[in-house]
Amino acid sequence: MVPITHYLILALLMFSIGVVGVIVRRNAIVVFMCIELMLNSVNLTFVAFSKQWGNLDGQIAVFFVMVVAAAEAAIGLAIILSVFRAGQSIETSDAAELKF
Amino acid sequence: MAVTFYLMAVLLLLSAVAVITFKNPIYSALALVFNLFVVAGLFATLDAHFIAAVQVVVYAGAIMVLVMFVLMLLSAKLEKASPFSPLYFGAALICGLAFAVTLGLEFDSGFNSAPPASDLQGTVAAVGKVLYSRYVFPFEAASLLLMAAIAGAVVLARRRYRTKEL
Repeated sequence: MVPITHYLILALLMFSIGVVGVIVRRNAIVVFMCIELMLNSVNLTFVAFSKQWGNLDGQIAVFFVMVVAAAEAAIGLAIILSVFRAGQSIETSDAAELKF
Repeated sequence: MAVTFYLMAVLLLLSAVAVITFKNPIYSALALVFNLFVVAGLFATLDAHFIAAVQVVVYAGAIMVLVMFVLMLLSAKLEKASPFSPLYFGAALICGLAFAVTLGLEFDSGFNSAPPASDLQGTVAAVGKVLYSRYVFPFEAASLLLMAAIAGAVVLARRRYRTKEL
């Protein structure tokens, strides 16, 4: 059996890759995908802890994270769509009209 | 068992790096689909069968189809600037490393005293029993959230026709 710390280190690395992606990418949809990457690494820790402690609550939490991620995908992509309609661009640096 | 885990770990990290390094967003999305499948596999190694199935259906299926749809709709252009401008990349790398180290430092505190892995099976029956007893209110609230998200998405993405001026 693989020790739980290996799952946690894997999730940590994946989350950090997601953080780097959010900072380094300019395309709003790719930034969105990096957020999904981070959500998934957290889900992995939830399930790993759930298995370790013999408690199903972690898997229920993952279920709700998925529900919220689905809602976030629908709303987030609609926002990206309307930003594109307004400015003909989905680069995050181009959507800076409110910047002082 | 251990071999599958380490194989999947390598694939997971490679596909995660691919998501943030591909210049074409379509390739990034495909790498992310692969990544989500590998996460589903990792869930299966942890005996979370129901969550693994939902991961494939909801994440790799529904959400990524939505992302691909919007990518195609917006005529998926390549990013104008290279994503690896050294300033951004250096800053991002420092942030990511600082993050990883900060979280990693927490590791030696409590996890070694964890109980030995249980024989918990996350089957549909087991998860459903908990979901419909203790978590029945959050479950119903989730349906409300999804309903609000549907309405919000329609309102946000609708094309606004100019009303005729009188």
